[in-house]
Amino acid sequence: MKKAGAAGWFIHDIKNRGVTAWITSLALIAFYVILYFNHKVDPNGRLDAFSRSLFSFLPESASPNKWTFYGFLYTVAITVGGLYVLYKYRHNKYQIVRTCVVMFVQISLGFSVPILLKIFHQPEYYFSYFWPLKFDYFHPSTIASQPLPFILYSFLGSLLLVPLLTVWFGKRWYCSWVCGCGGLANTFGEPWRHLTSKSTRAWKFEKVAIHTTLLIALITTAIYTMGAFTDLSGYPRFQSVAGFVKEYYGIVVIAVLSGVLGTGLYPIGGTRVWCRNFCPMAAFLGLIQKFGRYRIRVKKNMCISCGLCSKYCEMGIDVRAYAQSNKNFTRASCVGCGLCAEVCPRGVLRLENRTPLDPQELNFLTVLKKKERNGSRAISA
Amino acid sequence: MKIVIVGNGVAGISCALAARKRDLEAEIVVVSKETPYFFSRTALMYAYMDMMQRPDLEPHERSMYENQNIQLIQDEVVDLHSDRSTISLRNKGELTYDRLVLALGASPNMFPWKGADQVKDGIVHFVSMQDLDNCERLTPTTQSAVVVGGGLIGIELAECLAHHGVQVTFLIREPYFWPVALGAEEASYVTEHMRDHGIDVRYGEEIASIEADASGRVSAIKTNKGNTLAAQMLGICVGVKPQVEVFKEATTPPKIGRGIVVDETLATSLPNVFACGDCAEIHFPNKKEDERPLIELIWYSAKRQGELVGRNLFGDAIAYRPPLFFNSSKFFEIEYTTVGQVMQLEAGTPTIYLKHPTKHASVRIVHKDDRVLGFNMLGSRWDHNKLEQWVNERRSPEYCLKRLKSAQYDVEFGHVSFAGATSQSIALAKA
Repeated sequence: MKKAGAAGWFIHDIKNRGVTAWITSLALIAFYVILYFNHKVDPNGRLDAFSRSLFSFLPESASPNKWTFYGFLYTVAITVGGLYVLYKYRHNKYQIVRTCVVMFVQISLGFSVPILLKIFHQPEYYFSYFWPLKFDYFHPSTIASQPLPFILYSFLGSLLLVPLLTVWFGKRWYCSWVCGCGGLANTFGEPWRHLTSKSTRAWKFEKVAIHTTLLIALITTAIYTMGAFTDLSGYPRFQSVAGFVKEYYGIVVIAVLSGVLGTGLYPIGGTRVWCRNFCPMAAFLGLIQKFGRYRIRVKKNMCISCGLCSKYCEMGIDVRAYAQSNKNFTRASCVGCGLCAEVCPRGVLRLENRTPLDPQELNFLTVLKKKERNGSRAISA
Repeated sequence: MKIVIVGNGVAGISCALAARKRDLEAEIVVVSKETPYFFSRTALMYAYMDMMQRPDLEPHERSMYENQNIQLIQDEVVDLHSDRSTISLRNKGELTYDRLVLALGASPNMFPWKGADQVKDGIVHFVSMQDLDNCERLTPTTQSAVVVGGGLIGIELAECLAHHGVQVTFLIREPYFWPVALGAEEASYVTEHMRDHGIDVRYGEEIASIEADASGRVSAIKTNKGNTLAAQMLGICVGVKPQVEVFKEATTPPKIGRGIVVDETLATSLPNVFACGDCAEIHFPNKKEDERPLIELIWYSAKRQGELVGRNLFGDAIAYRPPLFFNSSKFFEIEYTTVGQVMQLEAGTPTIYLKHPTKHASVRIVHKDDRVLGFNMLGSRWDHNKLEQWVNERRSPEYCLKRLKSAQYDVEFGHVSFAGATSQSIALAKA
């Protein structure tokens, strides 16, 4: 039941898909449409000009544009939302540490560092983003324009650091600790985290949608790479398809799915519409997570099926279904925000990077160990 | 085979699911008068505080009942005819069964306080969906409320009312909070915590009489200490009792004591009729002369008993053996885990008590000679499975103290250390 008074009405209304929630959502969508598509109606780039005047105190080499302004707003949203989250969960050390890291990463790697790099005539590089989320870091044209250390970071980061950290800590090290999209969801988006659908239908949709986007991302990267290394002038049909894929990946996946809908739908569909259903990085990390060490442990027989865990899961995982049937679990979509464990009134749930491993489980490290053991047995026999 | 289950609480639904697991063909019908779907009673308080909405309280997606082919009927059972294997429903006629399961749960205790019979509105309980509706209807017109009863439901109701800005006076008959489960030391800081949340906690004070205004709504409570407390709501949370009234009047009643009498396989005195959960009174064979039959009134036992009956319906005749006792709760922000025997032991039983120097957190290890009997843990998280293991393995208190950390279950980075806590030896007072 909502609290009495106008404040009680408003808090309930905006958090539970009321009129104010719809208005907020429309406002956010409008903002993103203007941000991404303003060049269609505003060829003079008034938004860019506004950003230039706002950041006129920076040296000229910083060359601020509309994205600088957006980055600034984004950082403010994460900082303000982060302070709210720090206050709300002040009794929970995991939430404190995690939120501080999220805020720090956004303020530094997600905003100031790229501007500083530009000021010092280096490429505008975001160390907190990796392929396949930051798609262009694998594009030959981007690579050609970067100094070697940046190229090494792109490749080693995406192909070595990301999978290894995910095997060790689960995808949470990225999705709820480092990533800007996740950072915004877990700070500014806090009031709407419970809106993500927990239905089986939503889960089915998620599995198809997210892996489809991953596949499209892989294909698009392949097309870009092929274009750089081979002469395709003899294949006009391929070229036209390639051009189409390149253009529409940017518009559909980046602008519409991650921006307009991903953030615009916060007050209606919950905070992880993009992360849960479309982010190719989340899909990639999720597949690794299934075989890694991370899991949510469930204390046997202690669940009272109250459902707070499911209600407050931003990824739409029906945590209660596992808890009430006493099953430890690792779901590909789990970003390890730790809110299920936080809200559980009986302390049933615990996020773990487990050791020792359960020999009965399908697990990347178990498979390795088993091989070793079999090997040594073969020798002794 | 047609299985009819009366009651769609955790016992009834656990029974239905266990039965379905056992037999894919059986016809399973669940009858409830309270709600069309199973909901989690333990989450009522979260709906009251707007942390959840009504549909969130249902532990299973609604499609589950169809997938599992479990038929749900919302109606009230009014009679039982064991001779022709039917039950009568208030609106939907008769229902025949091959096996009948009574899982009616419990209903709140009520005492004949002076003036209670004059009250038409404003007295609430907090165990059913109807109670929640009632509380929500009354809250907007309530400035102050009195909650009676120093147990789990009482503190939950007090928390909800305080959340909505209602001035709450919490009347607790006992000398401190929940003495059947907590020691005086734990209770003292739980009380402090309640008072920090604005609850006016009063020990040793009880209702003397209830006063109502002209419309019949509660207006004030007079206490045995001569105080008059203005209140527009009166929460009665003085325990629950097995719900058996319906069957006392039945054409062929099962044997009824305080609850529905069952043997250790949870079978009642009637053929093909079982009972489980809060309404069951279990009589074990070879029980001692002075031992009372077992009535378990908690979520965990209802789930266990329901699952067992789901198998015994098919003739398994597995005896119910309650495992080592465990329970959990949360008093505002203080989490509570208990394992084994703690407060219901003879006076003088030694305990080791560690109080965290700054937090509202403590550890109590109850032991006899060199064997640990139980744990009472407040204010931090504990892996009760580990604590159970220590009791079952007859470990010594020293053994457990040395390994306390391995049973802790706090969030990452949030380990609550008892290394700096002073250890006291406190003998149990009389329970």
